[in-house]
Amino acid sequence: MSGIGTGYDLSTSTFSPDGRVFQTDYAQKAVDNSGTVVGIVCNDGVVLGVEKPIVSKMLVEGSNRRAYAVDRHAGVAVAGVAADGRQIVNRAVQEAVSYKNLYGDAIPGRVLADRLASYVHLFSLYWYSRPYGTASLLAVYDDDGPQLYLIEPSGAGHRFFGTAVGKGRQAAKTEIERLKLHEISCEQGINEVAKILHSVHDEEKPFEMELAWICEASGREFKRVPAELAAAAERQAKAALADSDMED
Amino acid sequence: MEAELNQAVSLGTTIMAAAYDGGVVLGADSRTSTGNYVANRVTDKLTPLTDKVYVCRSGSAADTQNLAAYVQLYLHQHQMELGGDVSVRTAARLAQQIVYSNKAMLQAGLIVAGWDARDNGSVYGVPLGGTLLKVPFTIGGSGSAYIYGFCDKNWKPGMSEADCHAFVVKAVSHAMARDGSSGGCIRTIVINKDGVKRHFLPNNEILAAYGELQPPLPASIAVGGGGAAEMSP
Amino acid sequence: MLPVPTSHSPALGPGCAGPSLAYASASTRSDIAPPSAQQPCCGSEPFMVDPSAAAGLGLRRHTDTPYVTGTSVLGITYKDGVMLAADTLGSYGSTKRYKSFERLAKVNDATVLGAGGELSDFQYIQTLLDELATEDYCADDGMQLTPREVYAYLSRVLYNRRNKFDPLWNSLVVGGLEGGVPFLGTVGMIGVHYTDKHIATGFGQMLARPLFRERHRPDMSEEEATELLHDALRVCYYRDKQTTNKFQIAKVTAEGVSVSEAFALETQWGYQAFVNPAANALGTW
Repeated sequence: MSGIGTGYDLSTSTFSPDGRVFQTDYAQKAVDNSGTVVGIVCNDGVVLGVEKPIVSKMLVEGSNRRAYAVDRHAGVAVAGVAADGRQIVNRAVQEAVSYKNLYGDAIPGRVLADRLASYVHLFSLYWYSRPYGTASLLAVYDDDGPQLYLIEPSGAGHRFFGTAVGKGRQAAKTEIERLKLHEISCEQGINEVAKILHSVHDEEKPFEMELAWICEASGREFKRVPAELAAAAERQAKAALADSDMED
Repeated sequence: MEAELNQAVSLGTTIMAAAYDGGVVLGADSRTSTGNYVANRVTDKLTPLTDKVYVCRSGSAADTQNLAAYVQLYLHQHQMELGGDVSVRTAARLAQQIVYSNKAMLQAGLIVAGWDARDNGSVYGVPLGGTLLKVPFTIGGSGSAYIYGFCDKNWKPGMSEADCHAFVVKAVSHAMARDGSSGGCIRTIVINKDGVKRHFLPNNEILAAYGELQPPLPASIAVGGGGAAEMSP
Repeated sequence: MLPVPTSHSPALGPGCAGPSLAYASASTRSDIAPPSAQQPCCGSEPFMVDPSAAAGLGLRRHTDTPYVTGTSVLGITYKDGVMLAADTLGSYGSTKRYKSFERLAKVNDATVLGAGGELSDFQYIQTLLDELATEDYCADDGMQLTPREVYAYLSRVLYNRRNKFDPLWNSLVVGGLEGGVPFLGTVGMIGVHYTDKHIATGFGQMLARPLFRERHRPDMSEEEATELLHDALRVCYYRDKQTTNKFQIAKVTAEGVSVSEAFALETQWGYQAFVNPAANALGTW
């Protein structure tokens, strides 16, 4: 990044001559280097999957969470700086609670996504703040059905049928585009997500997979995928990967 | 006499709302009094909160008018955020929050009713202390005391629109026949997926109750036509 | 523990007693002297101080009385856990206004809450507990508030509010199962709280607890416990005018929390002596 950014990358409050805000670009880089996070909308719900590199052999399994429920009907998986992610998750929880209290309904996905995007965007407006180095995949099941949103460090927010962020995002997105999302249920979806996460993963290093969903099977509540199902998905993904290696 | 006129302007009232198969009917009398003086004989106590949610107001006229105005404001702002219609539940919840958190200052008994795509027609009672109750039908105001029996007997689940409308008109007319604080004309509103229809039944066309006489109709009516009018909202 | 209802304007509907105007005026209050021949009445009226304002009576104090209220809640422990019972009436003064108000609510997988008193305050308490339960859900660590924690929390909330002279006008009963041991406690509107093997609030304290004292055992079977509650509810229905014959029973067992559908109890009015009660006691009514 030397050269063009010089002098214009110290603050979010200064544009570069060619119209970039380098600090948010760098924040996006923190996301791009992160473990892959995948989200897909199936015909009965949403599945989120996170690839988590194991940073130490002494790490207690399951202690490095990346997918969080923010209300009964909504959850967030974060890629990038995990500590920043927790701030965003906390904000999402607050928004959900205050909406419920004021309006009596559960917060709709679109509103929650808008509000989170605005919140994240705030941190790219002032010289004294650092943008969040986190992209959030938001899974919601509301009156309008299952929805998936992505909120980027810049404050941009989009709704997707399926998307991926992090290191393996390009390959993962290609795989997602091959899926017939309207035809598969979340029970099949977790297998697909597991397969994608394993296929885009750098084989040498060990990783832990975190799967969460919100669908009929989870009672329309955002939950971690039950351990047995997650283990089965992982086994099946590894087997599929071994098969394709054999073919190669 | 002067003490009479110094009393609060109050909607000594009969209001009600009832859900039917696919929508709701709201009804109210049209009397506002200051002590024994009828301050307004053609009051409209059915106030729009959004396009498809209305509120029936009882209690202090000043309190309920301002409360309704605030709920309108909040709901319109919220509709911008939602990019669509708010639910009846949200409208009722906002009204309830205001009544509950200001219960020491307000005299407001409300019925919030309307139509939304999720719940179809729904009716919420928000009585004095700020309780929120989802009900199939409810009545309120001073006149309601006289028609609990009538309503308990005649309300049926899954009525047709016409039956439900007739039920509301009849109930309000019976309340007006016994409650001095209720009177004037009967205003009703029907809300369903097709929209909002207002009806107006002038006082002299209300069927006389037991012990009353049907008044003769004036030979000519200065403004508007005779007969129960149906208008756009 | 339940306050006497109620006072508000009759313009708002039936069931009221007490002062009818928000601002009492000389015309409606007997204790305020109307202008008389002894007082200057011509020309000097604008300078007179409103007697009610002078007496500091101009305040409107709506939170002094409840509006929509529920009556007693009963609770007993038994072999498998805890049972709570209440009717479903929301009274408006003496008017039986809302007949399907559920006063027993699930708090989490091991706790139920029953409430009497002002029902808008009960709904407020429910939103507080819902938020706590959602917080636990989001933490996703397998922990939930225990019944004893809910009970301690509510006692603090109610005591705190009474210290602000703005009480939450409720009598609450908390029931649950904690490590396989039944928990039953009650919290009143000024913060009084205690646990016991059997509990009743409001009128139930007089009507139901004598029955509990006579017949309750901690090792009762579910059938025995249900029967005891039925008998207690029946007495409440006979002798508490704020009770209707439409009840619910909530249960907390190792299987979790369940709140029953509303049901009516069989009542007995067929005694021969009821037909002509004066027959065996001449001179009575």
